[in-house]
Amino acid sequence: MTDSPLAVRDATIGYGRIAISEDLTVDIPEGEFTVILGPNACGKSTLLKALARMLKPSAGQVLLDGRDIHSQPTRAVARRLGLLPQSPVAPDGITVADLVARGRYPHQGLLRQWSREDERVVAEAMAATDIEDLGSRGVDELSGGQRQRVWIAMVLAQQTPLLLLDEPTTFLDITHQIEVLDLCAKLHREGRTLVAVLHDLNQAARYATHLIAMREGAIVAEGAPAEIVTADMVEEVFDLRCRIIDDPETGTPLVIPKAGAPVPA
Amino acid sequence: MSAVTAPFRTPGGAGRSTVLRLGGYSLRLRHRTLAAVLGSLAVLVAVALWSAATGSTPIGIERVWNAVIGEGTKGDEFIVWTLRLPRIATGLAVGACMGLAGALFQNLTRNALGSPDILGLTQGATSGALVAIIVTGASLQVTTVFAALGALGTGLFIWALTRGGDPSGYRLVLVGIGTAAILAGVNGYLLTRTTIIDAFRAVYWLTGDLSGRDWSQARAVGLVLLAGAVAVVALSRGLDALRLGEASATGLGVPVGAVRVAALVTASVLTAGAVAVAGPLAFVALAAPHIAARLTGSSRSFLCAAICGALIVTAADAVAVAGIGDRQLPTGVVTGVVGGAYLIWLLIAHRKKGAMS
Repeated sequence: MTDSPLAVRDATIGYGRIAISEDLTVDIPEGEFTVILGPNACGKSTLLKALARMLKPSAGQVLLDGRDIHSQPTRAVARRLGLLPQSPVAPDGITVADLVARGRYPHQGLLRQWSREDERVVAEAMAATDIEDLGSRGVDELSGGQRQRVWIAMVLAQQTPLLLLDEPTTFLDITHQIEVLDLCAKLHREGRTLVAVLHDLNQAARYATHLIAMREGAIVAEGAPAEIVTADMVEEVFDLRCRIIDDPETGTPLVIPKAGAPVPA
Repeated sequence: MSAVTAPFRTPGGAGRSTVLRLGGYSLRLRHRTLAAVLGSLAVLVAVALWSAATGSTPIGIERVWNAVIGEGTKGDEFIVWTLRLPRIATGLAVGACMGLAGALFQNLTRNALGSPDILGLTQGATSGALVAIIVTGASLQVTTVFAALGALGTGLFIWALTRGGDPSGYRLVLVGIGTAAILAGVNGYLLTRTTIIDAFRAVYWLTGDLSGRDWSQARAVGLVLLAGAVAVVALSRGLDALRLGEASATGLGVPVGAVRVAALVTASVLTAGAVAVAGPLAFVALAAPHIAARLTGSSRSFLCAAICGALIVTAADAVAVAGIGDRQLPTGVVTGVVGGAYLIWLLIAHRKKGAMS
């Protein structure tokens, strides 16, 4: 058994008959900001999809609170676990407030369409993501950074202690990447358990409190960034020769690629 | 009584809504949806009454009303209760079924052209009807059953082919188009294998018509509508969440696969019921959800799509009965012209981006 709220046990995960990961076991520690990283096609997004029950393992299990996630009612799962997918779709012409309100789905019903609680939680989610002034704007009018904050607000309105984010910074410029990551850090400080897939090694090392490094579907290293981000680990995972120095801003590991860096084959 | 609040006000009033609360229950009513539903319903009632009052023997609204409440003459009661109301009721239910089926298919495929005509269900119903007419030389009742089986079989066929693989709407549309092409070929072949008399009967059925429908048919399609409406109410929240994409819907707790299958089955049953009774009335399933989307300003209202479907068929049938000169037209001729013209007018009048997504 496990104490972690979300865990993978001996799982084979993939698409159709193609297995990306075999015999994978992962524990997502409670209260941490976990970042899954690795090179393209290493299986990090596949792992996140399995954690979010979008993919069902062909062998093994994903456990939410110690029980198979696929045996639990979808609505009950949605009250524990929120997901921000990589490319969510906003219906044409929907307003920000309407989209954030969609996050209340697992708390609503045919005859419980808009309670005072829904109203309060949606307002809080919009305040937390600093989009209160955008409520009546159309989602398609917003900038990429604003839009990502709207989607995060929708997931927050779901009121789940666990949040999964699939590459939340992709397609954003650097300012908005930092803005979204700072928001994630704030949500983590407020007590939520976060799991995100990130591309940028230095951002991962700076913001994560727990890192999972993957390569070819398997986990190469996991633990606190200060402990596991080493030149050897980076070379093993990314085939990149580098130096590790302390980030002058935060003291977290900072990866500096060596000149002419790729490892000879 | 309940508290009434309007938490979200957006410019243009499109998102303005009122919330009714009573104990743990709450209903959120969008003002524009409510206005669209009530408005189209009022027009529908007016058209139905007008349809009952006109025809080969015009009797006027007052005599229709007296006959309906049982205070008319024997002759009027015969005209209203035996000749006209069954036909109008059948048209209402057929149109509502088609409107709902079209809205379901457009939601499922996330495609503005997703309709039973594009996906092959109509062609499947036609194959069934042709087999009944040509091979067995059958009565209307047998044709009805065969047409329903044809549509249902086609629905099952597309479901079987899209299951397991990538369940995106695109795949469903492509499989449906392929199926429709195959069935169109089969239908053409069946028509060449028959006598000219049977071929004429078949072509008449293919146009779609409501003449001579009685209460038994109105009841049958009414039951299909009732069952379909219950299913749509149960599925509506899940389908709405699916509009955010499959991943977000899963995250929100929608059993995506189950909702998709249930919606496909429901849409197939609704199409089967409607086409079996009235023939493949052109364009209703495609146009009704679009008109509803224009009126409500969103594509979420299944109720409005059903009313619009009923309205198209009822209005078209009234025109068909009036006919050109003294000749009555098959209903299907008019639905295509009326529905198509109205849709084009709406698109030109609004010049906005399509509301379906």
